[in-house]
Amino acid sequence: MNRLVWFFSVGAVGLALATLTSAHSPSDQHVKIELISEQDGIVPHGKIWVGIRFDLQDGWHTYWVNPGDSGEAPRIEWELPEGFAAGAIQWPYPERLSTPPFADFGYEHQVLLIAAVQPPPGIKDEKSQRIAARVHYLVCRDVCIPGQKQLELTLPVKSLAVAGSNVQLFEATRRRLPQPAPESWKISAASLGDEFVLNLIIGRSAGAPQFFPLEEEQIENAAPQTANTIPGGFRLHLKKSRHLMKPLSRLRGVLVVGSGKAYRVDVPVSQSSSNVHTQS
Amino acid sequence: MKQNLWCGLFVALLLIYSISAYAQKIGDPAPEFQATDSNGQTHRLSEHRGKFVVLEWHNNGCPYTRKHYESGNMQRLQKEWTALGVIWFTVISSAPGQQGYVTAQQENDYLKQMNGSPTAALLDPQGVVGRLYSAKTTPHMFIINSAGLLIYDGAIDSKATTDKADIATATNYVSQALEEAMAGKPVTTPTSRPYGCSVKYAH
Repeated sequence: MNRLVWFFSVGAVGLALATLTSAHSPSDQHVKIELISEQDGIVPHGKIWVGIRFDLQDGWHTYWVNPGDSGEAPRIEWELPEGFAAGAIQWPYPERLSTPPFADFGYEHQVLLIAAVQPPPGIKDEKSQRIAARVHYLVCRDVCIPGQKQLELTLPVKSLAVAGSNVQLFEATRRRLPQPAPESWKISAASLGDEFVLNLIIGRSAGAPQFFPLEEEQIENAAPQTANTIPGGFRLHLKKSRHLMKPLSRLRGVLVVGSGKAYRVDVPVSQSSSNVHTQS
Repeated sequence: MKQNLWCGLFVALLLIYSISAYAQKIGDPAPEFQATDSNGQTHRLSEHRGKFVVLEWHNNGCPYTRKHYESGNMQRLQKEWTALGVIWFTVISSAPGQQGYVTAQQENDYLKQMNGSPTAALLDPQGVVGRLYSAKTTPHMFIINSAGLLIYDGAIDSKATTDKADIATATNYVSQALEEAMAGKPVTTPTSRPYGCSVKYAH
């Protein structure tokens, strides 16, 4: 009799555990994902910045908009109140995640993916508003686990909103967003044999610049990017992807300079070194 | 002695350079390989000259591979194309101890359980064939035409996700390339980003 009771209780506990764990995806233990806002409320006529914060377990990473040789960038589907509109995700510049013979582009430890949400004009300030997002993501260490998360945030509408406790994280994230290149810079690109050569007249900086391509299959991600110093800056050598089937007309990406600042690069690619276009 | 050392280093560097510089492109002859399958049989690429050959990089634990096997998509492609005379090699380059590594027996059990029907499953635990083709992901797909030239190198289809529901609406680049090439037409999409998990080579 006792044995029978024991049998059933173990069964019940097992069932309860199974139900409990099935509500979570297997990636939950490696990443915590939250939807946060910069301010404590929505102001009529003003936009509000929200973000998806990934807190990754040590050794795990998720991906940039161009994930590189493997992996997949997170995708966010917004579910917003009527009349609200979300802007594009602002991607902080990534880390180069190198596991020879591959290189991926992504984030370790923590990343916040921010977007601006615009409320409709004439929004009344008595009601709270629900901002929700479904996030599809992949986290990897040596193995990869896909996941999906439904997140939500309820914010009051107020005439005056103040920065909440997350403001520092939003500020730190903005410092990692690629900026327009300074006007004094001259950047040009040329196609030379099996390389793209980026001429970067950007002054001297500590350490060599690194280029992250926005589009897939343009350069060999794992190939070393050799930077030679030239008068006024650097010449960066990028190996063409073997998947590139026709001449590339523009090279678009993010340039990270020694100081840890990132700049947008979008330049035409000249097919010879003698006729070099510039971005100014 | 010192001179010998430098000389050796130079040769070694030259070798590394020539290996890394060798990356076959579309239209190039596909590199010759020899590998043993899960039934102990040896296969050489050159034995199949005159036929189309598909190479499918595989890791049974990778969520992208599982998308195409648990949905039955990969097995359906294997059946469909081998019935038309295509040679289909599933290649497993996971190193021992890494995700996707299998013994011959484990692979045969897997194929039976999943109803897989490639021509053969090639075991490449040293990653020799994988590195020769610069196979990056699972599933990374290659197609070699009847003249032994590489005609496709990339993803299985156009939707780089782990979601089985995406298969129905994706363009299958492998079927598209095989259909076009067999009809004597140029291949519309000869390369694409081979999405998936990285191939688990020995470090």
